[in-house]
Amino acid sequence: MLSKLATIQLEQRLSKLIEQCSAVDAAVVATLDGYTCAMKQRSQQYPLERLATMGSTLMSLGDTITAELRLGTCDNIISENKNGIVAFMHIDDNLVLITLATQKNALGMLLSHSRRCAEEMKKVVV
Amino acid sequence: MDKIIFTGPMGAGKTTAISSISDIPPISTEVRCSDDAQLRKETTTVAMDYGYFSLDDGSRVHLYGTPGQERFDYMWTILTKGGIGLVLLLDNARPDPLADLTFYLDAFKDFIQQTGAVIGVTRMDVSNQTSLDDYRNTLFARDQIFPVFEVDARQPNDVKILIHALLAILQ
Repeated sequence: MLSKLATIQLEQRLSKLIEQCSAVDAAVVATLDGYTCAMKQRSQQYPLERLATMGSTLMSLGDTITAELRLGTCDNIISENKNGIVAFMHIDDNLVLITLATQKNALGMLLSHSRRCAEEMKKVVV
Repeated sequence: MDKIIFTGPMGAGKTTAISSISDIPPISTEVRCSDDAQLRKETTTVAMDYGYFSLDDGSRVHLYGTPGQERFDYMWTILTKGGIGLVLLLDNARPDPLADLTFYLDAFKDFIQQTGAVIGVTRMDVSNQTSLDDYRNTLFARDQIFPVFEVDARQPNDVKILIHALLAILQ
């Protein structure tokens, strides 16, 4: 499990993500076996612990699919929906970043901010 | 499509059982455990296991393994869709395997009512404090009668016995 300091740093980085990218409504860091490490959302409307567990399942399925097809590692999984977008991406081999946007045209912004956030988080959890 | 679901607590042998009889290298979604569970088991299934097994008449039985932990219960609902029966594997060396039996029978109650189930008890060589009769008595007290077998999930014949028993009660 992560140290207390690392958890605080992840929470701070999630706050920064939500501050810097107006499209992000919620963000969660989860372990690949489904435990929540850190989470932030603009309003308390999403069950983020459940999302964390489901994110671990989806990321693992993505890894399995890309391995079966020999497509390398799975970078992102994007769920585009009627009322928003959810993006799942690896921070490292053990952690997943899940971000949620309710703006439908925000995919590029969501992915670029989330990717930068994941890269910075990777340095925190080394 | 004949689809059988393997379920049970973490470490009961679901992934191993599917691996031991699958005709193809099984598809697995195991990841490293990040909590205290890693003291006993290094990895855990977070989405599903999949393999298939050919019967003597050439027909295929598709084998799906669920994650064991309750936090992945949404996968239980997804994976049981279209299933014809349940193989419930229980680890006899866990602290209260009869409570595990009750928990999974309740969790899969609707699916079992529509289909059927067999029980495979693993790791009886590690702990024999709970006997097969204890499992049968628990089932009897719930007005449920399912075949109960001692199995080693690593042994293909043990797992095949479970599959054949399940197919027999479904006929």
